[in-house]
Amino acid sequence: MTTLPLFPAIFTDMAGSVLVIVLTVLSLRYAYLLTRREPDNFLWGFLFYFCVTLTVFAISRAMGHLVKQVLLIGGHGDVWHGLAPFSGGLNTLLMISLSAVIVFYHKGVEGYQAIRAKALSLKDANAQLNEAADQLRKMNLHLEERVEARTAELSDSEKKFRHFFTNSMDMVYFCNAENRLVNMNRSGLEMLGYPVDDPPPLGLVDLFLHEEELDHYFDSMLKDGFIRDQEVEFVKADGSVLYVHVSANGVFDESGKFTGCEGIAKDLTRVKLMMGQLAGSEKMASVGQMAAGVAHEINTPLGVILGYAQLMMDDFDSDTEERQNLEVIERQTKACRKIVADLLKFSRQSESAREQLSLNEVIGDVMAVTEHTLNMNHITVHRDLEPDLPLVIGDAEKLRQVLVNFINNAHHAMEESGGGDLYLETRTLPASNEVAVMVRDTGHGIPEKIRAQIFDPFFTTKSVGKGTGLGLSVSYGIIQEHGGRIEVVSPAMKDLIDEQSPGTAFHVYLPIHAEENSDVIKD
Amino acid sequence: MGCSKKVAYNSRQVKLMTGLLLLLPGLIVLFPVQAWALQTHGAPEGIIVHQMAHVFYFGALVYLFWDLRRTMSQGRGWKFLQIFCLLMMLWNILAFVGHQTHLIMDAADFSHEFGYLSSMMLGPFSATKLINYFARLDHLILVPALIFLFLSLRSIYRSTAEGEDS
Ligand SMILES: Nc1ncnc2c1ncn2[C@@H]1O[C@H](COP(=O)(O)OP(=O)(O)OP(=O)(O)O)[C@@H](O)[C@H]1O
Ligand SMILES: [Mg+2]
Repeated sequence: MTTLPLFPAIFTDMAGSVLVIVLTVLSLRYAYLLTRREPDNFLWGFLFYFCVTLTVFAISRAMGHLVKQVLLIGGHGDVWHGLAPFSGGLNTLLMISLSAVIVFYHKGVEGYQAIRAKALSLKDANAQLNEAADQLRKMNLHLEERVEARTAELSDSEKKFRHFFTNSMDMVYFCNAENRLVNMNRSGLEMLGYPVDDPPPLGLVDLFLHEEELDHYFDSMLKDGFIRDQEVEFVKADGSVLYVHVSANGVFDESGKFTGCEGIAKDLTRVKLMMGQLAGSEKMASVGQMAAGVAHEINTPLGVILGYAQLMMDDFDSDTEERQNLEVIERQTKACRKIVADLLKFSRQSESAREQLSLNEVIGDVMAVTEHTLNMNHITVHRDLEPDLPLVIGDAEKLRQVLVNFINNAHHAMEESGGGDLYLETRTLPASNEVAVMVRDTGHGIPEKIRAQIFDPFFTTKSVGKGTGLGLSVSYGIIQEHGGRIEVVSPAMKDLIDEQSPGTAFHVYLPIHAEENSDVIKD
Repeated sequence: MGCSKKVAYNSRQVKLMTGLLLLLPGLIVLFPVQAWALQTHGAPEGIIVHQMAHVFYFGALVYLFWDLRRTMSQGRGWKFLQIFCLLMMLWNILAFVGHQTHLIMDAADFSHEFGYLSSMMLGPFSATKLINYFARLDHLILVPALIFLFLSLRSIYRSTAEGEDS
């Protein structure tokens, strides 16, 4: 073969050019779609620009080739020779551009990827941070819940203690380091008689009556850190005395410095009163026993003295000095016998009868004898007797004696002022199943400081000869024997306090006889 | 000290450059004819630039191929793009060789006496002539290369679509 036909080359050139155009345009389409899908992706940007340049180059080249082939086939070789340099130049230019795009853009991709990697790691770090923040938030939420629960618990216990504080029957107080009261409950203020709503500023110094008790309080507070059952006298708002049992604890800070104290004080006034009464009755019982023994021993010699004195009186005329002396002896001996008899009565040595009787009747009997004398001394008697007073069981004679004692005392008390009023009252107390008798005068009253002593045997404020001090103690014994009790109130009318005649009231309570009681109900 | 030395050097350089720049218009004014003659682009220049462009393009493709192999290991699309690169490099070589052989040949090697479509390459056939003939069929490589480019972009596009779906 000496020749090769160029036709296959021409054909390939033309068909290939068409295919090149088609293929590059199709590629460009996908590159374009990629950039549309992810406009921010630099890599797709590179592919797109690469395809654009490639397509332009390919089209320029392919068109050049097609035009060349067409012109040459058409026999216009000269035209093509004119165009060829432009087509070739353009192709060269585009090829260089394509190379530049490949190198520079692809370098850009590298940079982009580095930045992207950084961004990804940043994003990762950010996500981790977010997660941590989330966990923190959760923990925080949990913490809030826990704080809430704790607060509820605290307020619960606070409520409990506040309830205890306000409703305690005892005085509860808190002091600061200067021993000023910072808080005292309602009971405490009521005990002391201060206004509950607006108490004045108080210190422990204001409460304690005796300085030595306060000193003792401070001493043991600083030495032991607490006080146990100290018996203390407090001063009330009105100046009167309040007996209390104080127990307190010191409050100290970490360094052991005293920062205050908290204490409880129990009102002992009632206990004290009861203790006093108990002691009194015990004393009286022992005195009674002793008196009984003495009375028994003395009674016989007194009888002998009296007998001999009367015997001797017969030997003297009535106007002689001896006779008068003997009369004094007789009189005083009789007085002694009366005292001894009283003593025996007080110590319950004498027998007592037990019969059903009405106290109204007893009062009537006594008044029949004494009213005249009272009237003579300008004393008006007022009776307020309940008509159907239940009966009591007892010794009429002894009860009469009790009443006589009361009336005599009232009489004496009103003597000074030259008269007054005597009130006699009887009442039924269904609640306690008792009958009450009251004897009230408008006399000088009983001073507070001797009130506890008036029932003591031989206690009297009267001059020798006028009173022996046995009247009330005997009465006390009698009423006790009857299962009753005596109360004394002086000044008698609290709301009608009269400096001159505060008055005294004696109340006697005797149990109602059970059978009679039921009879009364039947009536 | 080093600093001042550097500054001194720089200022000297700047002075030299400004001096040259000022000298250039002067030279053009003094020797206008010679200056124009220096700027002519003779006949071989076009083909030389074109061949250089082919080399440049080839280099760029080598770089792209190397970089794709290095960074884009996974994905069918990137594999296709690598094949495109290889084929394109091959095409560049072919085109370059085609242009080179064309320079050596002259009009006597072809006969157009029966019209353009019936053109013939005349013997006797040297290696140059055969290579030139084969280089004329460059589309046999270029078209497959572009097919792989098309496949590559399509598969990349689809894979991103899949990524989006999942
Ligand atoms: N109604 C009264 N008003 C004022 N003081 C009274 C009254 N009753 C009793 N007292 C006081 O109580 C004291 C004791 O009374 P009590 O009857 O026991 O003894 P007395 O009257 O002094 O002597 P007597 O043995 O003669 O009764 C009296 O001295 C008196 O001070
Ligand atoms: Mg009396």
